[in-house]
This record gives sequence, C-alpha cells and structure tokens, in this order.
Amino acid sequence: MSVRGEKGLDPVTFEVLRNAFVSIVDQMAEQVRRTCYSFVVYNRDFSNSLLDAEGNTLAQGKQDLSAHVGTLHYKCKAVMKEFGEDIEPGDVFLINDPYAGGTHFSDNSILLPIFFDEELIAWSQANGHWADMGGSVPGSFDVSAADMFKEGLRVTPVKIWRRGEYCSDVAKLIANNTRDPNAILGDMEAQTQAARIAERELLRLCAKYSVSTVKRAFQEVQDYVERAIRHRLRELPNGSWSTTDYLDRDPSEKEGLIPIKIKLTIEDDRAIFDLTGSHSTIKTIYNSAYGATFSGVISGMKTFFPEVPLNAGVYRTLSIVVPDDTIVSARWPVAVSGFVMPFEKIMNATFALFSKIMPEKALACAFNIEYLQTGGYDISRQAKPFFMYYDWLAGGWGGRNGKDGLSVTASPFGVGLMAQPIEGQDRLYPVRTDSFEISTDSAGPGKWRGGLGLEKSGTFIEVEQCVLSYLCDRERAVVWGIEGGLPAKPHGLWLQRNGSSEEDFLGAAFSDVPVSNGESFRRGTSGGGGYGDPLKRDPIAVMEDVEDEYVSLERAAKDYGVVLELVDKDKATYKINEKATKVERQRIAKNRKDWLNEEPLEIAKKYREKKLDMYDLIRQYGVICDWGTGELFEDTTAEFRKLLKERAMQYWD
Amino acid sequence: MTHLRVAVDIGGTFTDICILDDRDGSLEITKIPSTTDPIDAVLEGLDKAGVKLEDVSLFSHGTTVATNALIERNLPHTALVTTEGFRDIIEIGNATKEDLWDAYKDNPSAYIRRRDRLTISECVLADGKLEKPVNESQAQELARVLKKRDYKAIAICFMNSYANPANELWLKEYLQNLLPSVAISTSAEVLPEIFEHERFSTAVVNAVLRPVVGHYAVRLQSNLKSRGYQSDVLLLHSGGGVMTPKTIDFQAARLASSGIAAGAIANKYIGEICGYPNVLGVDMGGTSTDVSMTFESTMTTTRDWYIEYGQPISFPSIDIKTIGAGGGSIAWLDEGGALRNGPHSAGSNPGPACYGLGGDEPTNTDANLVLGRLGNDLVGGGLALDVSLAVRAIESKIAEPLGMDVQTAAEAIINVANANMADAIRLVSISKGYDPRDFALVAFGGAGALHGVALAQELSVPTVIVPPHPGVTSALGCLLVDIRHDLLTTLVVETSKADPKMIEEEFVKLEKEAISRLSTEGVERIDMVLKRSIDMRYAGQWRSLNVSVSQPFTSIDDAVNGFLAQHMREYKYVRDEASVEIFRLNLSAVGITPKAELPQSAPNPITPKPDAFRDVIFAGKTYPTSIFKRQNLSSGAQINGPAVVHQLDSTTVIPPDAVASIDKFENIVINIQRQDRG
Repeated sequence: MSVRGEKGLDPVTFEVLRNAFVSIVDQMAEQVRRTCYSFVVYNRDFSNSLLDAEGNTLAQGKQDLSAHVGTLHYKCKAVMKEFGEDIEPGDVFLINDPYAGGTHFSDNSILLPIFFDEELIAWSQANGHWADMGGSVPGSFDVSAADMFKEGLRVTPVKIWRRGEYCSDVAKLIANNTRDPNAILGDMEAQTQAARIAERELLRLCAKYSVSTVKRAFQEVQDYVERAIRHRLRELPNGSWSTTDYLDRDPSEKEGLIPIKIKLTIEDDRAIFDLTGSHSTIKTIYNSAYGATFSGVISGMKTFFPEVPLNAGVYRTLSIVVPDDTIVSARWPVAVSGFVMPFEKIMNATFALFSKIMPEKALACAFNIEYLQTGGYDISRQAKPFFMYYDWLAGGWGGRNGKDGLSVTASPFGVGLMAQPIEGQDRLYPVRTDSFEISTDSAGPGKWRGGLGLEKSGTFIEVEQCVLSYLCDRERAVVWGIEGGLPAKPHGLWLQRNGSSEEDFLGAAFSDVPVSNGESFRRGTSGGGGYGDPLKRDPIAVMEDVEDEYVSLERAAKDYGVVLELVDKDKATYKINEKATKVERQRIAKNRKDWLNEEPLEIAKKYREKKLDMYDLIRQYGVICDWGTGELFEDTTAEFRKLLKERAMQYWD
Repeated sequence: MTHLRVAVDIGGTFTDICILDDRDGSLEITKIPSTTDPIDAVLEGLDKAGVKLEDVSLFSHGTTVATNALIERNLPHTALVTTEGFRDIIEIGNATKEDLWDAYKDNPSAYIRRRDRLTISECVLADGKLEKPVNESQAQELARVLKKRDYKAIAICFMNSYANPANELWLKEYLQNLLPSVAISTSAEVLPEIFEHERFSTAVVNAVLRPVVGHYAVRLQSNLKSRGYQSDVLLLHSGGGVMTPKTIDFQAARLASSGIAAGAIANKYIGEICGYPNVLGVDMGGTSTDVSMTFESTMTTTRDWYIEYGQPISFPSIDIKTIGAGGGSIAWLDEGGALRNGPHSAGSNPGPACYGLGGDEPTNTDANLVLGRLGNDLVGGGLALDVSLAVRAIESKIAEPLGMDVQTAAEAIINVANANMADAIRLVSISKGYDPRDFALVAFGGAGALHGVALAQELSVPTVIVPPHPGVTSALGCLLVDIRHDLLTTLVVETSKADPKMIEEEFVKLEKEAISRLSTEGVERIDMVLKRSIDMRYAGQWRSLNVSVSQPFTSIDDAVNGFLAQHMREYKYVRDEASVEIFRLNLSAVGITPKAELPQSAPNPITPKPDAFRDVIFAGKTYPTSIFKRQNLSSGAQINGPAVVHQLDSTTVIPPDAVASIDKFENIVINIQRQDRG
C-alpha cells in the first residue's frame, strides 16, 4: 500500500475536499435533470465535471455517460486555447466541436470559468445531448453524410455570457439553427445554472479552507487517482495483447467488415493502447475523432476497475497511439455524428483484452447501441406541428465468467441512459407502439449465455411527409461470444409497407426513408455474446430459460443440444429428455467445426428457401448475408468465420 | 378507561415496544429479540411490559414483514396479466443499473418471473379512447389457466390504463367472480398515473404484498382483539402516516417499508415542540445514518422510491437518505492512500475493536473512545470498552501508515465521517435552496448525539437538539402518527389554457374519494385535513415541482407564482417568457389522531455540578471536560462546553464554545456560538 506524499494536505482536508468535488458534480447533475428540456438530456445523456485552471478534470458525475468521460478536458482546453487572455469573470462559454476533442455536434458543453479574487482557479462544465442540432435530418444523424456539412451546426468556442451579460444574439443564432429553438434555449440555461452551482460551492470551499488549500487539493486528487490506477496496473502481468473488432461496412464500398485494431501493452504501472492498423475513415457518419476514441479506451478500462474514480490522474497512466485519418482519428470535415459506433467497438475490444488479463471479470461482447429517428408533420393536431420521434432500446450484455450476461440494460455507450416510457411517447407522437418485449433467442448461447435483447414495433398513425432513419451497426459484424460462446443476433429494422405481403429489411443504418400512415416497423436489439461452450450449459438452466421463453424449445436443441419435452402447456412446464440430450450434444460436438467450413453459397441458398434461419446462419455456419434478400456477403462471411473460429471454435473440445 | 398508547416497531434484530401513558406522559420502552413469526415477539413484548390491551387506546405498528418478503422473494405465487405485446415492462424498467461501471453487479430481479406474466389482447389509447375491449372468451381461457396455476394474487396492468381504467376494471371483475379467493390489484386503482413502468411496478408490489401483509394484519388484529384491544391496528406506511388494515387492498405497497418514516416523524415532532418548523433529522445507528428533513412543518417527500433498485414504488414517500456511516463504520486507507470511512461496518459482531470481541478494524466508536468522547463503557456499564484495543487498531491501520500519532488519527477518522455525513445532508437539503441557518438539527439514534454538534458546525446550523431518549426516538415517532392517504390524478395542461373550474372539479372528486376512505377508517369529518397541491413545470421540462394551492381553487396565477417562487428557491433562476404547465393534481388526506402530551417540567435555571471530569480531545487540544449523567440534569440546567453527557442509550458531546441547556421537555438544546460560517 502506498501512502500520500509527505508535504501534502492533512488526510482529513484532503478527503473532505475530494468528496466535496464529487458532491459538487452530483449537485450539478441533479439540477440538470430537474430543469432540462431535451428528453435526451432528461434520460441522462449528459455529464458534468469540475476542472482545474489548466482544464484537467478533477471530478465527474457518478452517473455520467461513458462516452463523455474522456472528452470534457479536451473541450475545456479548446476554449482556453481559443480565448487565451480573454477569459473573464461572468463569462460563460459554449462548445460542441468534435474536432477539438468533443464527441459530436449534439453534445453541447457549457463551460464556466471560476474566479477567486480575479484569479482563474477552476472551470465547471455541464455537457448535454440536445435533441436537435440542425443538419439534413431531424435529430441530426444522417448516415448518408460523409462530411460535417449535412450533420448540423458546429459550435467552436463562443461566449454566451460576457462579463455577466447574456449574449442573446449568439444564443439565438445557435438555437435558431435547430428544429426546436425553445428547448435548446431552455437547456442552455439549465446547464448554465448547473455550472453556477459549482461556482458557488467551490467558492464556499475556498472561503472555508483557503484558496491555496483548494488548489493544492486539485493537484492531490489527480495524484491520488493516478496512484490508485498505477497500483492496479502493477498487480497485472506485463505483456502485450491484441484484438480486433469490426464495424459492418463502408457504404461506399461493396462489402467487407471494417476493422478497429487495438494492441494493449502493460509495462509495470502504465498501459499503452496502440490502435495502429485500424481502417481509414469511411464515407458515413460512423467515424470517431480523437477525443471520442480516447474516451472509448478510458471507458473500456474503467469497466474493469469500477471502484477507481475518474479524473485526469487516470489519463497520466496510459498512452494511446492513433495513426492519422483513420476511423478512430477523423479530422475536419469528416462526418463523426455516429462516433458511438466505433466508440463501442473500442469499448468491446477493450473488454476482450482485459478479459484475457483479468479472466475473473471476463465479458463477452454487448449489443450495439441503436437510435431510431422519425420526423414529419403530426396531422392529429390542428396546427400540424413538426414532430421528432427519437427512440433507443436497451439490449443484452455479454456472458460473464460464472454468470449469464445482463439482460435489457442500456448500452456500454452509457449505462445510465434511461429507456423512455411508452405512455409518454404515445402522448407526444403520431407513432403508436404495438409491442415492446424481450426478444426470445436473442442472447448469444454459451455455458453462460448473454443477456437478452428487446424487440419493439410500431405503426405510423397520423403523419405527413414523414421520414424514417435508423442508426445502428452489427448487422453483419454480429455480437460475438468469447471462450467458446456463440454470437447473439444481427441488428436491423424491418418495415411492413402498405400493400406488401412481406416485410422489407432495411438494415442497421439508413436515413430518410419516406413512410406513410398505416406502415409499421419493427426492430430488435441483440442480446450479449455467450461465454464458454453452450454444450456445457447446465440443462436445467436451459429448461428454465425455455419455461420463461427466453429461449425457444427449438433453439434449446439447436444451440445447446438440450432436448425438452412439454409436461403441461397450461403451466408452461417441461422436462429434460436426458438420453436425447446426450445424443444431440454428441452430434453437435462432432459436426460443428465442419459446419463452419460448409460452402457459404449453399447455406445462403437454404436461407432464401427458408430451410435455415438467421440464427442457424450466424451460430452454426458463420454465414452473413443480406437478411432481407438472402444475398451472400462473401468477404464479410470469410472475416466473420475467422472471428468465430478465434473466439469460439478454438475453445471447443 | 383506555390510557395507554403502544407503538411496536419490528426491526431485523430487535422488536421495540414503546408505551406512552396518557395520564402522566411517561414513556416506557421494552426491547426484545425479534422472532421468526414476528407476532410472537409482539405478544411476548406486551406481556413483558405488563401491558393490558384493554387499557390501550391506540396501537400503531411498524413492521419489516413486507420488506423482508420482498427482499427474500418470499412472496405468494402471483401472476401479472398485461397487455399483449408488453409482457416485460417490469423486467425492462428504465434499463439502467444502480452501479454504472461494475459489469459484474446485477440489478435485483423482477418480483414476478416471466413465466408468470400472461397477456391478453386489449387497447386503450393515450387520450383514454377505448380502442379494443377485452374479449370475453379470451378472458375465460385466461381465467382457466390462472385457476389451474393456482395463483394467490394477480396484478392487472394495462397500457394507458391511467387514462381509462375500463378494461382493467372489467377484467378484474370478471376474474374475481371466477377466482373469488384471489387478491386482484389493478394498476390504475393502485396508482392512476402516467408512465407504465412506475405504475406497473407499484401495482405488482401491491399485488405480491397484499396476501403477505393482509394475513399478517388479520392475525395480529385478532390476537390483539382476543386480548382486549378494541380499535384498529394502525400500520405505519412509508408516506409518514398510518393506515388501517381496511385499506390494504389499495395500499399494501406503502407498507413495503413500514417504519422507515418513524424517525422522520419524530424529528418533525421534536422540532415542533421546541419551536423549530425547519429541522434536519440525523438518526445515526451502528451501521448507517438516516437523514430526513422537515421544512415549514412539512416532511419532505419523494416519488423516487424503491426497496430494490429498478422496482419503483411510486407512492409519495418520506424522503429519507440513508448513508453508510454509523458508530461501527470502519476507517481504512485505500490503494491511493486516502483515509476513508465506511460504508463497511464492523456490525455488532465482532463490532468495534474496543468491544474486545475479536474485531481489529478501527471504527468510529474506537476513535470516539480514544478521543475521550465516549467513556469506558456503554449501556450504563453493560458493555465495557477496552481503550487499548482501540488504540492498537487505529495505530496499526491508520496512524502508522499516515505517519501521525494516534490521537490525531482518531480525530481524523471522526472528521472524515462527519464530512461524509455533512455532504449527504447538504445534497438532500441545502443544495435544494434551503438556508441551513433557518434550521435546527435533531440528533438521535445511538450515535447521533456524539456527532450532532460537529455536523451542525460543518453545515452552519446554529442549534442542535438531543431528545431525552435518543436511542428510541424512532419508536416514539410511531406513536405520533396520523392516518394518511395520498391521492392524485394526472392532468397535463398549459396554465394559459387551464380552466380553474375544471381543476376545482377534479380536486373535489379527489376529496370525495379521500373522505370516503377516511370514513371507512373511522375518522370523523372534523378530524380530516385535506391538503391540495399541484405538480407544475415549465412546458417542455421533464420534472415538476410540487406547489401547494388553496381550497377552493380559483386562481391559476397564484399557482403559477407559487411555482416560480419554488423554482427560484430550488434552482436559483426563473425563465421570464417560458410558459408553465400543470402535470398532476395531488391531495394529501390526513385523519388526525389525538396526540399524546409529553411530560413537561418547569425549568429551574441552574448550573449543575459535573459528576466527573475526563480529558477529551477537540481540534488537537486536550480539554479537562465535565462529564454529566443525563438523569441528573433537570429542566433549566445550563452547561458550557466542553462537556459530555452520558445516558443509557446514548452519549452527547458538547464541544468547547458550545452552550447547552435542558428545556422543559428535557431535550438538550445546544447552541453553537462560534460556528464556522463557511
């Protein structure tokens, strides 16, 4: 155990101030949530921080969104760089610039410099995802955008308050470039007031403990977290580990998965993450600028050290190597509003790396975050107002060492991101939810299966000039298992057109598809990937899953080799056919490696003929095709099979 | 003639029987170990205390029966019947986790498993339009399956039923006819409020608890009756009032944490008799501290409440913040070298190091002992404390690694504990715009009075009150309750378009229902107090603020002004041009029960002679300190700090510069003179 440096603050003052800094950001969060306008912010897509005079993060909110954690200091430093000496008491700044360390235009940070006797001593920051920032589609996610000009309004650092005077011209300019100016102004004010709480509280601490003590504590809380992380890293073995995760595709290319590579090296008490070899930027919004990439690494690592608080001290313990102009280091004007897609790949890849180093905390891949956006005119109301319906679903997390994955949980992007109440949506939008349930069989099979995903369907009721967009991924780079566990379920949206007998598969990423009244859509989230060989799962656990309809009778046999017989339909009770189970498990064990080498064209054909289904293709044959037409993706299949062999097959007996 | 009031508070370890004699206001407490069947301990305790039930006018009761049943999932076989396509609302919840970062920590599971969630086709739209009634043949098939599966309770939860409960009610009646012995709850009857997860979850908790608390209350009632008790048992609920067994059907969920509000009620009451409408209650025990607040004689409530994360119980509940800091909380150094305090506790076994039961971790109790703030025994000599063991624990675990002497380390431990508690109190009170200088702090629980003054100093609260029996003050709260119901109706309308007549009509409807419920419980109209309030927000905001309004309701402007004032107080700003929206109408309906008078004695201003002296350390300095026995301090006594007051169930620390006096109710009232105005 290491002990704090000799000339520091006394332990009580240190501990009091350390907690006080955290308490300040928690108070900010509470205020933002109680006063915000954007429902995205309300549902916790926000973060708050206290930073020192150099813009280093001192404390962040306990419920902050993962995707923001490593970006707040960059935004603060960008404001300081832009304004230099022109930072005065009474100023308040706004920035959303992803090219200066932010995430995407939707995440707008209010920054307030805190002065004590004319001296700049700290900053407070309230960052929130505003529901719309303009651009070509409602909600500001246009997957067809290849550069920022279709994405929305870029706000490089500006003052919205100058020496205590509100700059309504600037604020209105920004708000009036969005689809909901009133909400934007409301959120701007809510976040500004939250930032003022930090100012009040910090000045209280300065008056009580002296400004020099508080500034000293700023340094010590960072040193403290640095020591804690270094202590953890020293307990791990030295070495290098590599992994690759994938995005589905570059829409400007034919097909083929898009790799993100990470090599982690642990050297005593520091960690080096090298993303060399990651794909170049792609012609869609699924690129990440450096700040969000940094955040992905930090969030992935934090998942394995959950108790250690986050501040700039963490950043001192690691270095990140990122080559220029890749999907993880996009620069202006490359589109990045869908940064969360590479972000989550970085997080899941980091899970895979640490699962090797800390097997007791191993974690298979989680489902992919998804956003559905639809906007148009609501003709159920007299004034026919423009509406924006913006929805996201929880899904399953990966199977774990010793237990099943977490079911219906918010995505790694931000576990605090709350699901929206359907009754709220029913009141607000001319889109009716028809069903919203756990999706049977969505979990990746394993000795410890993944958590379960959801399925939600809805119908357009009274709309005009309505368009539908969908942002997701892992339609092809399907959620994977580890240690022998199997993949979960491809993402994607199905649309039932008027007058059509079958649903169209629109995939996991599209924008601006016109829709009409009476048309309905459904989309699901994947469960988590499985952990360990599914043939080793306790048959009783499989039977329980069937009784709860988490797993179907059919897939209990196909994925787990467990043969069940119905005892009482009314009571939904089953029993295990032990003998048949033994035979089935042996048959699968004997053949499954060969299935992964069967001719993909033949498999895709059987899919088109409905002799095989989607789960058969991804879990048994490792074949990826267009889930609507059944057209085979050859290159993607080859890469997916390689992945499956690496993460699953090599662990099978 | 009935002259006794009895409150029985069943805890995990002990059952407290608190008896107040109306004739002289004397209070007697009996503590006995809780039993497997909690009623055994109740009856045993009554026998032990020599209570004749025919002498009892009021029997109030806080019980953990419901809490334990929930946590242990020891629940009756219960089905959820819900709208087809929406089977998993109670499992999906809001999809978040209590601990965001620890991927190995799971949320508690839903109270009803998926296999027990059945669906039926029906549809009500958001505006209340009944799009599709329940089909009778489907209902018949459903009833057959429910019967075959032998459920004891059923929750019927349909989408949008808050806007129109017709389908829920029809199915309830249909099923009840075929399944007469099954307890059926519907979501809109339990909580007629928008947002399916909160409403369903509350209804499900209600459904699973109805048989549990219903049977329990009936058994208890009949046991008490056979021994001569004539009235209804009053069950303490989380809203800070009581209910009779007659309203369990709709309110069983409010008993999910019966008893939690007792401390808050006592806090409010003590504030009132001492003349403080604003009080912070700090109830500090061995492992945790409960903080509550009363502002302008009203206990603060919350709708954000649950026993287990993800399973909300959305009745208004007294807002209690529990912090993992108590006498037994362990001080430790983390891997970054910071001095931490709690939330781990040494519990009662092995307990603090100074108990000599094998504990070697330094706790707050050990630190208080080393500083001289605790004497060498507890419970009036019933438990000897070994200071050398406390010194050893603090020295090896804290002082040596930090390079400080034992006394300094002990004081550091206490200061960190106090700072943690102060932060938590600040978050629930001061950070919401309340000025601490307008408050008094009531310190109770076994350890509250040891820390109360230091906390008040940290928070700039000028006065601390230590009630006569700090260790059993919560139980006293059980005796001071009124019957309370909270009713509400969802009404979303912009204030510029709202019609005061329509709002008045809605309130009148709620009042009719409230009066009918209170009448069922035997409350006379004259004892009913009905308070109206409206939840309001800026149009476009998501959260609302609760604004009191008068009866009859005539002025929208008054309500809006009330909202603006509150927004200003809590959030320090208002928006001039933004429009304000009504979200919900609330009615709290209280049936006043006659209150007991606590004993009073005329103050006789004297400066008592200390019973002993002891060295006590404050802020690094050793003071020869007066030690008093509480039973020797009578009304009017004045004490100058530094001083320590010992009594059976607690120890009060009065630091240098603080002045204490004993008031006519025998509370110790401590004024902090040179407090830090940070």
